[in-house]
Amino acid sequence: MSLIRAMRAGFQRLAGLFQKQQRDAELSAELESHLQLHIEDNLRAGMTPEAARRDALTKLGGVEQTRENYRDRRGLPFLDTTLQDLRFAFRVLRKNPGFTLVAILTLALGIGANTAVFSVMNTVLLRYLPLPNPQELVFLRLPNGPPEGVSTTGDDDRSFSYPVFEAIRKEHAVFSDLMAYMPLAVDKVAVRIGKDPEEAEGDMVSGNFFSGLGVSFTRGRGFAPEDETAHASVVVLSYSYWSTRFGRSSSAIGQTIYVKGVPFTVIGVTAQGFYGVEPASSTDFWIPLQNRPELTAWDEEPSTIAFYGSPKWWCIQLIGRVLPGVTASQALARLDPIFQSAALIGLGTPDPKAKKSILAFGSTQGIQGMREDYQKPIQILLAMVGLVLAIACANVSMLLVARNATRAREFSVRVALGAGRGRLLRQTLAESFLLVAGGAAFGWMFAVSGSRALAAWSGAEIPFVLDARVLLFTLAISISCAIVFGLTPLRRAASVPVAVTLKTSNATAHRDQRSSWSGKVAVASQMALCLILLVGSGLLVRSLRNYQTLPLGLRVDGLLVFGTDPFSVRSDEEKEHFYQNMLARLREAPGVESATLVSHRLGSGWGWNSVWAIDGVMPQAPFSESMSANHVGPDFCHTLGIPILRGRDVTDADTRSAPKVVLVNETFSKRFFPKGDALGHSVTTLSSTSVGKIKLENRFTIVGVIGDSKYKRVDEKSKATLYFPFAQSTPIPNIQVELRTGGDPEALIPSVHAILHDLDPNLPMQKPMTQRAQFDESYSQARLFARLSIFFGVVAVLLVATGLYGTLAYRVERRTSEIGVRMALGAQHGQVLWLILRESLLVSGAAILAGVPFAIAGARLMRSMLFGVQPGDMISFLLALFGVSCCARGFNHPRAPRNARRYHHGTAL
Amino acid sequence: MTDKTDVWQGTLALMILKTLQTLGPLHGYGIARRIEQISGGMLSLNYGTVYPALLKLEQEGSIESEWGVSDNNRKAKYYKLTRAGQKQLEREARDWQQAQMILAKFLSATEPST
Repeated sequence: MSLIRAMRAGFQRLAGLFQKQQRDAELSAELESHLQLHIEDNLRAGMTPEAARRDALTKLGGVEQTRENYRDRRGLPFLDTTLQDLRFAFRVLRKNPGFTLVAILTLALGIGANTAVFSVMNTVLLRYLPLPNPQELVFLRLPNGPPEGVSTTGDDDRSFSYPVFEAIRKEHAVFSDLMAYMPLAVDKVAVRIGKDPEEAEGDMVSGNFFSGLGVSFTRGRGFAPEDETAHASVVVLSYSYWSTRFGRSSSAIGQTIYVKGVPFTVIGVTAQGFYGVEPASSTDFWIPLQNRPELTAWDEEPSTIAFYGSPKWWCIQLIGRVLPGVTASQALARLDPIFQSAALIGLGTPDPKAKKSILAFGSTQGIQGMREDYQKPIQILLAMVGLVLAIACANVSMLLVARNATRAREFSVRVALGAGRGRLLRQTLAESFLLVAGGAAFGWMFAVSGSRALAAWSGAEIPFVLDARVLLFTLAISISCAIVFGLTPLRRAASVPVAVTLKTSNATAHRDQRSSWSGKVAVASQMALCLILLVGSGLLVRSLRNYQTLPLGLRVDGLLVFGTDPFSVRSDEEKEHFYQNMLARLREAPGVESATLVSHRLGSGWGWNSVWAIDGVMPQAPFSESMSANHVGPDFCHTLGIPILRGRDVTDADTRSAPKVVLVNETFSKRFFPKGDALGHSVTTLSSTSVGKIKLENRFTIVGVIGDSKYKRVDEKSKATLYFPFAQSTPIPNIQVELRTGGDPEALIPSVHAILHDLDPNLPMQKPMTQRAQFDESYSQARLFARLSIFFGVVAVLLVATGLYGTLAYRVERRTSEIGVRMALGAQHGQVLWLILRESLLVSGAAILAGVPFAIAGARLMRSMLFGVQPGDMISFLLALFGVSCCARGFNHPRAPRNARRYHHGTAL
Repeated sequence: MTDKTDVWQGTLALMILKTLQTLGPLHGYGIARRIEQISGGMLSLNYGTVYPALLKLEQEGSIESEWGVSDNNRKAKYYKLTRAGQKQLEREARDWQQAQMILAKFLSATEPST
């Protein structure tokens, strides 16, 4: 039978489940007419009326039987009884609202936590861009980096030159479209809509960016190829930027946005859910590729080699849509010669010994760049919530076991009345299905808010989407839960000896050795799981503590840091003047004790690494590794609270025209001047224009040795570091301002804002925050995971505690008559207590014995996430053991004596 | 010597379709009667079994039904072949004949041919 016929029949039968009465009536009428026709024929053949009727009925084979066969064929009998089972299960659960509520909430917690964490994994590791046929999209990569002698950006493994872009774009056999994009700044760029300056994340993109990616538009249109060639002054907004900035008003189209003072007209708004192609950040707006000096990739200073179109300026990032049917290896084989020849444009003859750049494809699955950092932690987190779910499942099964024991009589009666084991199985499966369905529904709601909370805590700009894949995951874990639960109580029910249960008045009749043994195993394994989880959270919390208490080498409290971008100020002389003026104004602001400048914000993860010659000599091995450096303003040490060991701080006198000076840190001094005589020596900037030719440039005299302090992040090792006065560098870089105050640093923001606005109305205040918060960002991942693991740990303890409470209470209850008999025969109060306690002590002991090896193995897996803690950390293990024993003791200690007293009154008998 | 043969599974549907093709729209009783007559009494057919088979064919879209009035003025449900049913009948009849031919050849080949 063809598939279509089978499906058609299936639908018909599905429809057969409804309007049963009408269908039954029709069948009756048909059978009645059948009998009448037959009887008439028989009468004509000469039978007596009675014989005619009997014959007709006999030939038909029984009206009821025919009807039954017909009904089986009409609907789907399996589905029919399943619906019956579900209705019955619903009634049963409604009769026990307490049990139902606890079971559903427990499951919802487990399923919700798993779904939320999986949604993170889905977004970070699995999901494709929300675009048509996303698996065709690839990022272009340079695993070896660009050729030597070119000017690069921070992302040098994925940035290309303009000629390379043009050459690959002309090749039509590989990509249906090749899109270029580059950020306008490392972070955000100054934008003005109306009066007030602000910041936004913007990209410059090729004309085919939107059409090639297949982005759809909520309002207006995307760019056309002519917009790129004409460097048109038009801008496309993202849905979320449009929502926050324009309140989703259609009047946004046609308005003007000033990007670094340059006017752009809004022509379109992208569809909801598209956040651009930048890793882990959402792009607010896009403009076509520009050739103005104000608008360069990464906000770099335009120069002869670092400007639009320059073959030496490797700043363009590429994403291509591979033609259907072209494999990656075919594509790369075809592109490589094109890339190799285009890569050499403008570089002269290459050094044959120099490393060769290789073209490669990068997957657009997940979030680029985050995969490496987050894969392990997310897997560990998923394992943790998996444990939580296991505990939740164990809890619910124990609840079910306890409850079904009291239903043994019901089951027995039903078996005795002829219910098959199969029907009983389906009955319990239906109940567990309903419980799990409720748990999954609530869990999904938990997950929706949970994933929002996760996104907020982790500072992710892209929301963690709950898409079809996540839903599938939730359904899969829910169904496996349902099957496990459905089978648990049945094994019990099926093994009940009917006669015994019916004869005995008490449910203890079937308390055989095996079932009480399996209950203990369930409790013990739950405690063991909890132990593993608590050890994990203990280790993560101790790691976080280590981050928080790490000495930074500076007085971090009372510091406010913010960035500025005076893009209207061009020459170095103007910049020096501008910053000096700004410092002078800021020092006078109320509440400001002192102020200084840095080019690379401390604790932001960004830094400047290079090698300097000392007294004109290149450092030799073993000291030839790169050094760190920063540009700093006057009063650097004073403002940040870094101790000056010898010499002096940078002062206002260290201007552009003054003798060039530099401060070095203690590590630098100890490494290169072990005798402590660093002052007066000099360091020299190297500029390597091409391999082998090193030109010595400016000479800086060491005038101060200062204490080591943290630079890029809190967990870095101290590195030889140099601090150059900002005014003496060429070109003068963009600057971050550090302000010291006696009060709350963030209270300074409004007055500082006013001063900046006074200096230049286009001047934004970039990411103002306390220096403490900035350093905290360098271990935000550790903090997030520690917080989550505490949360999961607490959930686990609560679940285990309630589970133990439930089971122990139930066990004590079940042994009521036994205890009563014992006490009547003269057992002492203490003896009875011991009877109950012994059991829980044995169970806890077994749990700890089983849990510790697993906890040790789990801790080893987490090694890469730990900081300053060994996987075998005793304190974490002891805390975990304490936590587990707390939840075990806390619930059975007070209850047992109370019960024992109750037995004393003879109620048990 | 031989008893009446029970209707084989699956052949009943084919017989119903053939009956409807030959006689045109017909009620369940008529179909059952006709099948019994054609088989010359060699088939033992519970008339009741015709109804689930008719329902199945209708669910699959091979036949349609509507209430009508019989020759002697009785209300009855009449079944008739659809185009899909016509095709199904042709296909299944061909398959049957083929299978029967093969089996007949097979059974008549008493000696191995060398």
